[in-house]
Amino acid sequence: MKFSHHNFIQRAIIKTINFFKESIFAQEYALQKGFLQWFPPQVKIISVLAVIVGTLLTKSIALLFVFYLICLLIASLSKIKIGYFLKRTWLFIPIFSFFIALPAFFTDFNIAVLFVTRVLVSTSYIILLSLTTPHTRLLKTLRSFGVPQVFVMTLGMCYRYIFLFAEVIENTYLAVKSRVGGAIHYKHGQHIATWRIASLWQRSLQLNREIYDAMLSRGYSGEPRVLDE
Amino acid sequence: MHIPDGYLGPATCGFFYAVMLPIWALASRIVKKTLKAKQVPMLAIGAAFSFIVMLFDIPIPGGTTAHAIGAVLIAILLGPWPACIAITVTLVIQAFLFGDGGILALGANSFNMAFADVFAGYYIYRLVSYRSKPQSIRRVIAAGIGAYMGATLAAILTAVEIGLQKGKYSPYGLKEALPAMAGASILVFGWVDALLTAAVVKYLQSRKDTLEIQPS
Repeated sequence: MKFSHHNFIQRAIIKTINFFKESIFAQEYALQKGFLQWFPPQVKIISVLAVIVGTLLTKSIALLFVFYLICLLIASLSKIKIGYFLKRTWLFIPIFSFFIALPAFFTDFNIAVLFVTRVLVSTSYIILLSLTTPHTRLLKTLRSFGVPQVFVMTLGMCYRYIFLFAEVIENTYLAVKSRVGGAIHYKHGQHIATWRIASLWQRSLQLNREIYDAMLSRGYSGEPRVLDE
Repeated sequence: MHIPDGYLGPATCGFFYAVMLPIWALASRIVKKTLKAKQVPMLAIGAAFSFIVMLFDIPIPGGTTAHAIGAVLIAILLGPWPACIAITVTLVIQAFLFGDGGILALGANSFNMAFADVFAGYYIYRLVSYRSKPQSIRRVIAAGIGAYMGATLAAILTAVEIGLQKGKYSPYGLKEALPAMAGASILVFGWVDALLTAAVVKYLQSRKDTLEIQPS
């Protein structure tokens, strides 16, 4: 979190671009013919939840390490590069949790190790689920768990808008950066960031009208229907 | 603010799912009944908007940055029940697709950010801006106060939930978690949310043609 306020525009762009890259990488892995890609998303979600509950119930650090090794083995069988998987899982949550627990290592070593290992194992299995399942399928699968239709519809639409908005932000930031140059005072930076967010909302209102017209032209009558791709 | 899996015990996670299930059911019933057909895409846009707002690092004095949740802003713009759905959807996407915030902890995270932050912040905004004109400066101040209080409440709840796990799941108790998390919100994160929400409301006030702030 700590960095010079002079390059916050650049950082926001990098964050946006990283978001795109992560999503593209995830889709690439999800489309490979690996071990976990073979299973239906419902089975994977239930299994991951079971593993996380197991992780929380056990007090054995050895068992948690077995869970973690199994996770790495499954990742490898699912054709995910281990280096990429380790980077993706360790950054940011487990490392952050490690630093949170650091003082506790000197007072209550056992609970500190349990804490960090539980977080690592849980995060790793969730990332494994996300990497081996196409995102749109994963979100659609939530419907079979009784999630109300309004949530499923919003999830599907929201996922697409995130990409659209991220692109808008990236383009606008590049335009802003080309005008303000390198150094910028934090107060001016706050003004720019707030103005961008507000103008994004304005664009959203415009987009809402256009999307509703598009929905009507495709026969929308108040009841959303989810198409299988 | 996002609690990952491993921080809370299964009983706590189950408890918050049990609390949130009727809230989600009620939210979907109210939204289905009250949201006009042409506002339906706005729900998804609100959720995506909140996701993107969380990506914005805002510079603060001292060379650090912080990001807002935007929960109260969405509530002011869409209403509290649609905001509850929008923020939940954002949390689901963050948890399932990016591993940011736990799947088992989703109930607790939703309670803190999609329920407590949204409703407390929104009704504080309504109270402070009571009978004020849509273009008044009191609306802007009310939005800032609501966002600050909402974000701080969410941080306090997060700290209490984590602090109560001491010994079994968390290495720290309330004594350590509360000042660390609530203090960070009172001093930094709450202000970022307040600043952002107030400034966006102020900006939208100047754009009369697109102002769609909820009535107070």
